[in-house]
Amino acid sequence: MNIRYLSPWSIVRALVDHHYLLGQLIKRDVLLRYRGAYFGLLWVFLNPLLMLGIFVFVFGYIFQSRWPVQYSHIPFAINLYCGLIAFNIFGEAVSRSPSAVRGQPSYVKKIIFPVEILPIVPLGAALVHGAFNFLILIAALLWTGHFSAQIILYPLLLLPLLLLALGASWFLAAWGVFIKDMAQIVPLFVQMLFFLSPILYTASMAPEVVRPLYELNPIGAVIEVCRAAVSGATIDWAAWGVSLGIGVVAAVLGQAFFQHSRDEFADVL
Amino acid sequence: MFSDIAISVRNLSKTYRIFGHPGDRIKQALTLGCVPFHREFTALKDVSFDIRKGETVGIIGRNGSGKSTLLQLLCGILKPSSGSVTVNGRISALLELGAGFNPEFTGRENVYFQGALMGFTKRQMDERFDDIAVFADIGEFIDQPVRMYSSGMFVRLAFAVAIHMEPEILVVDEALGVGDAAFQSKCFQRINAIREGGGSILLVTHAAEQVAHFCDRAVLLDKGNLISCGDTATVLDHYITHLGISAEKSGVDSSKMYTSNVGADEQFHCNLAYNPNETRWGDGAATISDAHFFQHDRKDPAAFSAGLETELQLFIRLHSDIENLIYGLTIKTMEGGVVLSTNSRDIFGSSHATSQVAGDSVQISFRFKPFLDAGDYLVSVGVASETPSGLLPHDRRYDSLVLRIAHPLSPTGGIDMNPSFNIIH
Repeated sequence: MNIRYLSPWSIVRALVDHHYLLGQLIKRDVLLRYRGAYFGLLWVFLNPLLMLGIFVFVFGYIFQSRWPVQYSHIPFAINLYCGLIAFNIFGEAVSRSPSAVRGQPSYVKKIIFPVEILPIVPLGAALVHGAFNFLILIAALLWTGHFSAQIILYPLLLLPLLLLALGASWFLAAWGVFIKDMAQIVPLFVQMLFFLSPILYTASMAPEVVRPLYELNPIGAVIEVCRAAVSGATIDWAAWGVSLGIGVVAAVLGQAFFQHSRDEFADVL
Repeated sequence: MFSDIAISVRNLSKTYRIFGHPGDRIKQALTLGCVPFHREFTALKDVSFDIRKGETVGIIGRNGSGKSTLLQLLCGILKPSSGSVTVNGRISALLELGAGFNPEFTGRENVYFQGALMGFTKRQMDERFDDIAVFADIGEFIDQPVRMYSSGMFVRLAFAVAIHMEPEILVVDEALGVGDAAFQSKCFQRINAIREGGGSILLVTHAAEQVAHFCDRAVLLDKGNLISCGDTATVLDHYITHLGISAEKSGVDSSKMYTSNVGADEQFHCNLAYNPNETRWGDGAATISDAHFFQHDRKDPAAFSAGLETELQLFIRLHSDIENLIYGLTIKTMEGGVVLSTNSRDIFGSSHATSQVAGDSVQISFRFKPFLDAGDYLVSVGVASETPSGLLPHDRRYDSLVLRIAHPLSPTGGIDMNPSFNIIH
C-alpha cells in the first residue's frame, strides 16, 4: 500500500476541494428519497419519531428500564432519543456505504469523477437527517423544561463518531464494489451494534469486564457524552479524547484502503 | 514537455485482472496477493503517440481492439498498468451521453449537476445555462424530469452540456450519430468552433467514414497494439488492409495502394471545381480518375443555375477484377448538412450492378436537379463494391468537388421547394 495514502490531509483535501459537488450529491440523495412520496419531507420527522415511540413503549413501559440517578430527572424518551440520534447517523451512513460506489457505476466508468467522495454521501445524508432529529430533540427539551445550554456541544461531541463512520464507509464502499454480499451483511451488523451500544441503557449498566469497550469505542463514548451534554451532567472529556484518536485512525485507514483499491473499481464494475 | 502537446501517451499498457469467481478475489486478498487466483487480460500493449493542440484525431479499430480502454485511460478513469498519460487541459468526455443524469430530476437540475461534476460553480453555470438551453432546444421540457424526455431530447441536452463546458480536449466515443440532421449540423459547427479555438478533439469509432470526414490524423488499434498512426488517408488504408478484406479478395497487393495507381492519366484534380482539401481513401482496386459537370450542354461551368438538370460524369479505372460495383454521390452544405445522398444501387437496383475486369475504364453519369439556394456545396463521389461481408470501398473522394449555385430560382431558403400560393375564398 502506498504510504502517501495515509495522510490525514488527503481527507481534508477531498472535503474542501469537492465541497460544492459533495453538497450537490448529498442534496440529490436526500431529495431523491422523498421526491414523489405522499408525505414527502415529512418522513424525515416521522421515521425517527415512530422508532422512538416503539422503543419507549417496549423498553420504557413493558420492561420498565431504570436509568442511573444522573439521568433520572429527564424523561426516558429523551434520554433514549439522545443516543438514537447519534447512532442513527452512524448506522444509516454505514449501512448504505457498501452500495455507495457500486450503485453508481457510471460515475466510476463513464465520467471523470472524484470517486473518493461517493462514500461520504450517505454520511452527509445521514447528517441532514440527524440535524432534523436534533431540532426535534431541542423542541422536546424546551417543551419539557429540561433544556440546558450544554446542548450546543452536541454537534462537536459527535466528531469521533463521524470519523469512525467515515473510515468505515470508505472501507465498506471499497469492499462493496468487489463483494456484493456486503450490502446484505453490513445492515445486520449495524443492527447488532445498535443493541450492543449504550442507547437503550447506559454504559455503567454493562458488566464490569466489558465496560472499557463501551467507554473507549467511538460509538459508545460519543453516545455517553452526548447524553451527558443533554442532561447537563459532566462530560468525560478523557474518554472522548481517546475515541477521537481512534476515530482519526479509522478515517485515515479507511481512506487509505479506499485509495489503494479504487484503481480496480472501473475494471470490476 | 512542449506546450503545444495536448495529450502525450508513452508506452501505455493496461492489463485487467480477471477473477473467475468473486470469491477468488477474497482468497487472493487473504493470501496478501502471494497466491494468484486470477487470469490476466491485456487490453492495451505499449502504445505511444502524441496529440497536438487544435488537432482532430480519430481512433479506429475493430470491436475489442482497445479503443474504449484507451479513451478511459486518457480520461483518467482507468489507471494504466504501466506507461504514462500526460494531459494538458480540461477534458470533456462524451463516453456515454448523459452518464451523470438522474431521470428523477429536471433537465435544469441535471445541467447544473453536470456542471458541478465538471468543476463549475453555480454562478459559472448560470452564465452558460441559457446557451445550453438554446442549443438543446427542448423548450419547456427543461423543467420536466428527465425521465419524461424522448431519447432524442435526452441526447440533445446531454450533448449540449458536454460541449458548453469549454473543453480544451473533447473526447467523443461514437456519439456523433445523434439527433436529427439539423442538430448534427449544430454539433458539427460547435466542434469546429472548439477546434478553431485551439481545442483538440478525439473521436473514437469503428466507422472509417466519420474519421475520413472529421479527422486530421488517425490512430489505428488492433488487439491492443498500435498498428499505425499518422495522416488520415494512410491510416485508413492500413485499416482496410487490416480488416483483411482487401488484399485477398481484390487481389491487390496491400503496398500498392491507390496512391501508386494515381498515374499521369488521372485528370480529376484538373477540374476547376476540384477541392484540394478532399479526403480520399479506399483500397485502390478502382479509382475515380476524372469528373465533369454538365449543365445546358456547357461543360464544367463556373457556376450552376438552380433547378436545372445537371449531370456529373465520372471516369473510373479498374485495377483489378471487381464484381458488383456501386457508385455513390453525396452533396452537402458547407456546414456538413447532407442535401443529397444516393448511389447506383439505390437508383438502379442491385440486379443491375456491373462487374468489370482489370484494365477496364468505365464512364458513368449521375443526373440531378439542384433546387438549392445560392452558395457553395461539397460533392463527394465514390466507388465501392458489394461483398458478402459488407461494402468494400475502393475509392472514396470526400468533398472532392465544389458545386457553386449562382442563380437561385427564388430566395426562399436553403432548398427551393417550388412553393405556390392561392387564396381559395
